[in-house]
Amino acid sequence: MTQRYLILEDGSAYPGKAFGSLATTTGELVANSTMNGYQEIISNQIYHNQIIVFTQSSIGNTGLDQNAYESILPSAKGVIVREYENLATDHFKRISLDRYLKQHKIPGIYDVDTREIRHRLQKYGNMKASIVDVADDHAFDQLHATVLTNQQVAQVATPKPYPNPDEGDNVVVVDFGLKSGILRELSRRNCNVTVVPWNASSEMILDLDPDGIVLSTGPGAPSNLPQSVLKMIEEVQSQAPLFAIGLGHELFALANDASVYQLRVEHHGANHPIREIITNEIFYSGQEQGYAVDPKSIDHAKLFITHIDLVNGTVQGLRHRDFPAFSVQFSPDGAPGPKDSVGLFDDFTEIMERRRVDNGNRY
Amino acid sequence: MAIDINKVLLLGGGPTSIGHENELDAAAFERLIALRKTGAQIIYVDDNPFSVTSEEIQPANVYVQQVNFKNVVNIIEKEQPDAIMATTGGLNAMQIAWQLSESGVLSANNVTLLGIKPADLRKVIDNQKLRDLLTEISEKVIASKIVADDSEAMDFVREVGFPVIVKPISASHDTSRFICNNTDELEDALDVSFKRTYIKRCSIEQSIVGYKEIEMVGVRDTNGNKMLITGLEDMDPIGIHSGDSIIFAPTQTLINEEYQALRTATFRIMDALNVTGTCHVQFAQSRTDSNYFVTKVSPFFTRNTLLAAKATGYPLTYVSSFLELGYTFTEIKLPTKYSKYLPFMEPTMDHVLVRIPLWPFRDINDVDQHLNTLMKSVGSTIGIGRTVEEAIIKSMHSSQFSPRDILPSVSKVDDDDVINQLIHPLASRILILMEALRRGFSVDELSELTRIDRFYFYKLNQLLRAQDYVINNPMSPHSVQVGHKYGFGDGMLAELWNVNISEITRMNRNTKQPVTYKEIEPSAGEFIEATNIFYSSYELENESQPFSGKTALVIGRGGNQLGPNSAADYYTTQILTSLKKAGYKTIIMNTNPNAVSLTPQLSDKQYIEPIQLGNILNIINVDQPDVVFLPGNRHYLSKQLKQFTGLNVVVLPPDQKVAVYKEQEATAAVDLFIQDDEIIPVTTLSFFNHNNRLDLHHINDYQEPMSHWETDEQPLIKQAISSVDPTEWQGLVQVLFDQSGSEYTCTGIRPVRITETAFLTKTTGVNWINVLVRKYLGLLDMESLREQLRPAEHKRYSIMTAKFPFKELQSNRQEGTTKQEVGASLSFKNFE
Repeated sequence: MTQRYLILEDGSAYPGKAFGSLATTTGELVANSTMNGYQEIISNQIYHNQIIVFTQSSIGNTGLDQNAYESILPSAKGVIVREYENLATDHFKRISLDRYLKQHKIPGIYDVDTREIRHRLQKYGNMKASIVDVADDHAFDQLHATVLTNQQVAQVATPKPYPNPDEGDNVVVVDFGLKSGILRELSRRNCNVTVVPWNASSEMILDLDPDGIVLSTGPGAPSNLPQSVLKMIEEVQSQAPLFAIGLGHELFALANDASVYQLRVEHHGANHPIREIITNEIFYSGQEQGYAVDPKSIDHAKLFITHIDLVNGTVQGLRHRDFPAFSVQFSPDGAPGPKDSVGLFDDFTEIMERRRVDNGNRY
Repeated sequence: MAIDINKVLLLGGGPTSIGHENELDAAAFERLIALRKTGAQIIYVDDNPFSVTSEEIQPANVYVQQVNFKNVVNIIEKEQPDAIMATTGGLNAMQIAWQLSESGVLSANNVTLLGIKPADLRKVIDNQKLRDLLTEISEKVIASKIVADDSEAMDFVREVGFPVIVKPISASHDTSRFICNNTDELEDALDVSFKRTYIKRCSIEQSIVGYKEIEMVGVRDTNGNKMLITGLEDMDPIGIHSGDSIIFAPTQTLINEEYQALRTATFRIMDALNVTGTCHVQFAQSRTDSNYFVTKVSPFFTRNTLLAAKATGYPLTYVSSFLELGYTFTEIKLPTKYSKYLPFMEPTMDHVLVRIPLWPFRDINDVDQHLNTLMKSVGSTIGIGRTVEEAIIKSMHSSQFSPRDILPSVSKVDDDDVINQLIHPLASRILILMEALRRGFSVDELSELTRIDRFYFYKLNQLLRAQDYVINNPMSPHSVQVGHKYGFGDGMLAELWNVNISEITRMNRNTKQPVTYKEIEPSAGEFIEATNIFYSSYELENESQPFSGKTALVIGRGGNQLGPNSAADYYTTQILTSLKKAGYKTIIMNTNPNAVSLTPQLSDKQYIEPIQLGNILNIINVDQPDVVFLPGNRHYLSKQLKQFTGLNVVVLPPDQKVAVYKEQEATAAVDLFIQDDEIIPVTTLSFFNHNNRLDLHHINDYQEPMSHWETDEQPLIKQAISSVDPTEWQGLVQVLFDQSGSEYTCTGIRPVRITETAFLTKTTGVNWINVLVRKYLGLLDMESLREQLRPAEHKRYSIMTAKFPFKELQSNRQEGTTKQEVGASLSFKNFE
């Protein structure tokens, strides 16, 4: 077993054992405390440019399941875990975690004190890190000098539109780094989906005659995207029911004049209670966020807050006052994480339904 | 909305037995601490003489009575409580609660049942109603039917498919269950079964043998908010009772979709039953698809509800007590050491817990020792580690009977027997699995034979490889490091290499990775929670800091076995309480998840670590205790510890090896307390055996004071005092007598045993464990003790009756020895 290092921006170095690819990579270090679904986590495009530290002590135990990929070409920069098991459970017993990470050039390190790293991140906030062969000055210089791309969405989103046909509502999904969980939930509701690139124009979207529009999850800061995206959102939100998730939620807020700030420590887990304000109900959901909508910036003539996180007080959901448009910061598809809020997809289809009936009445 | 209560009746769990150790007492104890915050008066009923809870409540509010319907009705009528809490009293208490509501006692006396409403409770108690309810909310239950002939049986099978289980109803033999995989087997089974049934009826049900057994523990508040504490996975498939299975927390082999489906199902069931508080739901999960069945719903505290709490560090009993009172998650205020978000943050773990059951077959060996749907274990131990391997090895360390720090081996079993035991598992299950791997069985073969997930065999294989490496590379620093990583403690390394442990500790001094302690807390490092519950690992960051000021380490008894174990746990808790009162910061180490002594409120710090020399020395090294208390009769460990001259070790009660017996029989005894040269009589006892066998091992009943005390007590006390020499005997001493006619002959002298010390504490009004602790700390106030023990005015007989697990184990034995006791009950009798 090769010894390799995880080195951090603050100068600390963690020796560990290598698995997966032996590439040298740099990314932001984030800790994920979800207890299940390592496959969904690693394959989620929001981890583009990020090295994932699993706080659950053991991953790889269930092999990889063809139905549980959140994207086919994962873009995470590394996987850090206390231990991993190299088990394959597919029909041909081929795909183990090690093999998967090698195929996708993602380096992994195990046998490190992930609990200590978690404590360090919590104390000192977000930081960059590299996975390297040798933890020397050169490696640290490289780490400090590395500027991570801000073109993340362009790198992970589909460049061309594609359909995912079914017989129900016409839904246009704008791909900012889409996770498959969203498509799975739409498929379960028989939606006839067209996925369009992140930079699709409002004309292109509306020409597809959508019953509804979904703004997907994705990696990085919402401010990295050009104004044209916000303009698109502004133009479509008045035309068709809109459901925005994750990065999509942050963009929806920006398009409606709210502002977004970066969290001191990114929050990735499923343990925070989220309160739905109108019902006072508490539920849990996968949360993967580095940014949050500033509640003070919200123009209450346009938006109102529907959900908040009871631990850190962040805005977790918004709704437009005038249009059937709503958004959530968390991942209601539960891939991974609790399915407590999967009903939001039903809400979305109901809104589309109602609108179709209303439109039918109008003509 | 919180329910306003002034007086609440708490139902106790009763004597310990198979299927129920001290965990209910531990839960009741924590509940008591929580309820005190409300200012309500608490009435408690329990007849377990080793109950710590009843020790904590004012005697006037404790009813030492069997927890049954009649007694509870009387208490309700006399005390007129506002509410009744049954959820920490096990299934028995829940059934009583149901009877109370059905019979109208609750409404007649205006008593609210907390936790679950009577109408909903009915759905849990009545199996058919539960099936109806689950079917109504589209949760699947195992189909079953009572059939009167073959064609009805065939109709049923056409509906549900093979395999099925056939069982004669009201049969001559009660153990026959036939698993049928095809029509031929079914016909044979029906043939035999119809011959055996007296009423010409058989039950036939869908077989889920071989499915994974998964357990979920959830909590729900009065507003319908729900949270999952954690999932547990039984390593053994359905077919082996969950109580006899090796259990992992968190679940290890479920994918996210499966896990979330079970979580959602748990929530739906809690909603359907309107549970406020905790609910434990058991599932059978298919190995080949996403199909699952609900097998059991327990909206009250069970062994595994509490295991889930222990695994996560979530203060479940505390929170749940308030939920039952109608508080919502956000209204609950926790003790200040926790972050304020904790009650409603869903626990997430960064460690692994493994529970291994302990079986009584060493002490009762004439019963069927196969593991099946009937629970046979009497206790369990847990191991916690950062890796699965570490947790397995630690729990195995703790689960062996030998006090030596070795892993037992079954290498002498022949190949046929190995195969046989793989298919028909015995108590040594895990050892056989390892032995089979060692003999070259493939993982796929083993998984096929045992229906245990391949994952576990991979892990066991890694352990074997690590062990081989360690054995083949003795005394190398790298070998020590590998051993540590995989959970082999220093003591085990010393045994494997046949060297003194001090040689390993010397090597440790130069190692880059010394032992570290990690906190068990429910946020996986997101918040700094001061739960002060630790386990060891060999990593970077150590989170356990020594206390300033006087510190005492108390070494817990480990997993329950037969004999005086639940009494020993009670004894341990009282030592902790005494030490705290004496101004010590207290540290407990233990591995029994059901021990009251591991209750967070009873000590300042808890270590869940194997009770082995190496682990003890590591803790001593970190915490530098001023004194180490070793309760219970543990010659090997006390001898080992005493070789370290720097340690101040107190063994309580003093070694039973010093006992002197002239004969092995006794019918009466005088208990004395001896401090320096002062001898104070404590009380007298009569010993009984139901079959009049008078040897000491067969005593089942203890009565205080002795029979004929009016005439015989004083002379006997004189006789006892004259037979002990204070230069030889100190502390609590028992002088044994045999009676013939009106003559009493002294037959022996011994230190008062643990069980009887507990009994004395309940009957004499003096906490003798506290007295002993203070004696050994040099803090005993003799004057006040003399005051408390003024010439005893006996008011009634107190009787402690030993309980034996023969019935549960389907043994034909009628009487047992003290080593076969599983628990005891306490009762009182007025003088005639």
